[in-house]
Parts: sequence; structure tokens; C-alpha cells
Amino acid sequence: MINIVLDAGTTWSKIIEVSSSSLMKDYSKYLIKEENGRKYYIMPSCKLKETGFKFDKGTGHMSLSMLKDEKAYENEVIALIQGFRQKTADDGTILDMGSRDSKRAMFKNGKFKDLDWNSSCSSSTGATIEMLLKFYNIDVKSLVPAEEKYVITCGIFGLEKIMDDISKGSDAKIAVSKFIHGIAHNAWVFAKKPDKIYLSGGFCENECFVNSLGRYCEVVPLGRFLLCEGLL
Amino acid sequence: MRTNKNIIGFWGYPHPDLLEKYKQLYPNAQWIDFDIDYGFTDQNILPESYCSIIKNIINCAINYKENLIVILAPIGKDKCDSGWFAYEILKDMGFNIIPSTFEEKNRKRDVKISVSDLPLRKKIELITKGIYAPQNLEIKTVKAKFGFWGVPPNDLSVLELFPDETHVYGWTRCVEAMAPADIELEMYIDKDVPTVFYSQSFCSKAQLAKYLADKHNGLYIDMDDKATNSTKAKIEAFLRLR
Repeated sequence: MINIVLDAGTTWSKIIEVSSSSLMKDYSKYLIKEENGRKYYIMPSCKLKETGFKFDKGTGHMSLSMLKDEKAYENEVIALIQGFRQKTADDGTILDMGSRDSKRAMFKNGKFKDLDWNSSCSSSTGATIEMLLKFYNIDVKSLVPAEEKYVITCGIFGLEKIMDDISKGSDAKIAVSKFIHGIAHNAWVFAKKPDKIYLSGGFCENECFVNSLGRYCEVVPLGRFLLCEGLL
Repeated sequence: MRTNKNIIGFWGYPHPDLLEKYKQLYPNAQWIDFDIDYGFTDQNILPESYCSIIKNIINCAINYKENLIVILAPIGKDKCDSGWFAYEILKDMGFNIIPSTFEEKNRKRDVKISVSDLPLRKKIELITKGIYAPQNLEIKTVKAKFGFWGVPPNDLSVLELFPDETHVYGWTRCVEAMAPADIELEMYIDKDVPTVFYSQSFCSKAQLAKYLADKHNGLYIDMDDKATNSTKAKIEAFLRLR
């Protein structure tokens, strides 16, 4: 029986525990919501080890040492697709935007067609945004989508553009919004420019990103727990 | 005068006549494929971000310098422009190095190892070894479930992800066919076989790999030095889903 599953990301870990289980009782501060007999937690991945938990199923490389049985490990793309399929049988593209990578899978005529995994460049990922928001002390909710975008081929070059604009007097919020717009455009190109994207991951909660991506295609946010749900 | 020079180094697929000449001249020489990563310290001669295979060539040459009889150096369409530049650099550094071009197709032969039931890594190791030591093996042909297109990767461990029913395509297949510059054969794939198109990062063959992957709905991957966990997971997912 599966009671608790883990999606261990680079910076944030997502956990779903069935409501009848109480393994996470000492970690209630990380509880995000409880619905349909499941409790949803998000905690910093650096805190994961100290729990000492052994999970029933897991995905994400950091979960490997935290499973009851190493056979309970699931490939991240497979977990993403399984979670997506639980939500909808639609054709289209599911895109997961993580802290340091992005993954996508495409379906056509009800069948898997294509996948890709941009595994190393921070120019398209969430950790860069989190660092920027902290550095400039910006509340993500206060960001307004920018008309303009930075052309970001590399996260480092993108940061340089932000700092360059700010040094010339630009507002930090506007500069970060342009950066986010650039990332949204990159994400759409990475997804092969579809008309519609089902979005998974932390960016679902970043309205500036969702609206910036919405300039290019219809966006359906599916939340941060899609990979976890794919394990259940 | 006694000499301790006993190594013949090469990369790519030197012309068979040149291989034969040096086999006869030095029947006891040890042949070493400089394309392979033997874990030598980087000599910092090439840029840090550069094709790992070409870096292997330079690092091998310098590491084996004291024991080298000669380096046989493909510089034509059977290798790549970077091979040509590597030849010029090593010549300039004073190595005894012979340029080679193997672009003709008249020696072409059928492939056996590429379509065999051997593990993929074994297939590719046998094909590359066959450049200087002919492989006369009893091997069984198998129907392809998957394809691997490309050059032998710097990190051969990635090949262990594939099932034995994986056929070899691209330049590696051309090598087995004794036609390393046969671009038609290099671009050939079996349309119904889900194929991973591999390119070494910073290699111009990435052009072909990406184009063919898009054209044939395959998976394009490029790797620099060692395969990351994410790269391996991407291949695993493709093999499971297709």
C-alpha cells in the first residue's frame, strides 16, 4: 500500500501523504493543503534528509536514497506523464518547469510522440528567478508581465542584462519581469511552439510567468504536485 | 640503438592501406585508439569547452609521446575538420604524424556487428577495435527494437541503457562498413525503429543528429564529457515510452 510519495527536486521537495498516515505530523508547517484524502507538503530539499523517512515511491535523483526499496524509484519524465494522464486524456504538450531543468512530453492521437529534457541550463528554470527575487527583495505577486523581453540564451547573460538595465536606472521589478518574459518565450520554444501548454511545477504559481507564456499559447497550470500524483 | 617506442596511435578510421603498411612495418606495435577517454589529465591545449573526443586525441598524444612510433591522423570527410586541425597542431608540436584520408566507397562491406544481438556497448567496442584488428566472430542478427545513431560516445556507459536489440547507425555503422565518409550511409536509418540520435557536444555532426531526430521523430541528445543523470533518465524514458 502506498502511503507517502516524494518528488525530490533540486531545491524543493513535494510530498503527498494519504490522510490516514501520520508520518509527516511533525512537519505540519510544510503542509500546503489537504483534499480528497491526501495531504500535500512542500519543504526545502535540504531539510529532507533530517526527516530520516523512507518513502513508498519517489522520483527525482535526490529521492534515491530515501526510498524503502530502490525499485520504487520512478523516472521523472515517466512520473510527469503518468501525472498528466491522470488529469487529462487530451493530446498536447505537458511542460514541467523545475528549479534547474525543464521537461516536456508531447502526445498526438492519444499516443506519446516526443519528449525532451533540458537538464542543465539555468536560463530556463526557477532557481534563477528565486535568487533574483531574493536579491532584489521583490514579492513575486507584485510583478506585472512585461511587454518587452530579454533574449536569454544563458542564465548568466540574462542576469547581466538585468544588472545592466538597473544600473541605467530601470526599476528592478520591470527588469525581472522582462527576464521572466524571456524565460517564458524560451519555454514555449523548448516545447516546440504549441498552441496549448499544460504547465507543471513551481512556475504555475508565478502569475507573471503564466501570463508571459500566455502571450504565445494557451496555458493550463496543473500545479506543483503533478509528478507526485503520477506516483500514486 | 635500442628504442622504447612501441605505440602506434590513431584516431577515426585511417586509410586501410596506411594501416596495413604500419602493421607490416611494426608487427609488434601496440595500437591505441586516441578517440577514447583513458582518463588522462587535460593538457589545456584546446579550449575548455570543446569536443571531448578531440581533447582525448591531444591528451593521448602528449601522454604517450615518449613511446610513440607514429600517429595516423584522419583529416578528411571520414573524420571532421577538428581532426584536421588536431593534425596540424600535433605536427606543429613536433609529433611524427601521418595524415590520412579515407573517402572512397569501393571497399564497402555488409555490416554484421551493427545488427547483431550483442550488447550495444560491446557492438561499438568491437566495431572500433575492428579498425586495426579484424573481428571474425560468429554473431547472430537480431530484429531491431531501437536504434543508436552517432559516433562512439566519450562516455560509453550510456550505451548500457539500451537493450541488446539495438541496431547501430550513423558514423559507427559506416566504420563497420569500411566507408567512414559515406554520407548516405551515415544518414540512413530504419524508419520504423525508434532511434536515439547522439552527438558529442561541440561536434559538427550535431547538425545531422538534430536534423535526423526531428525528421524521424527520434530523440536527439548531446553529451559533453560524462552522461549526466538527467541525460540517462531522458534516454530511459524514451526507451520505455516508444
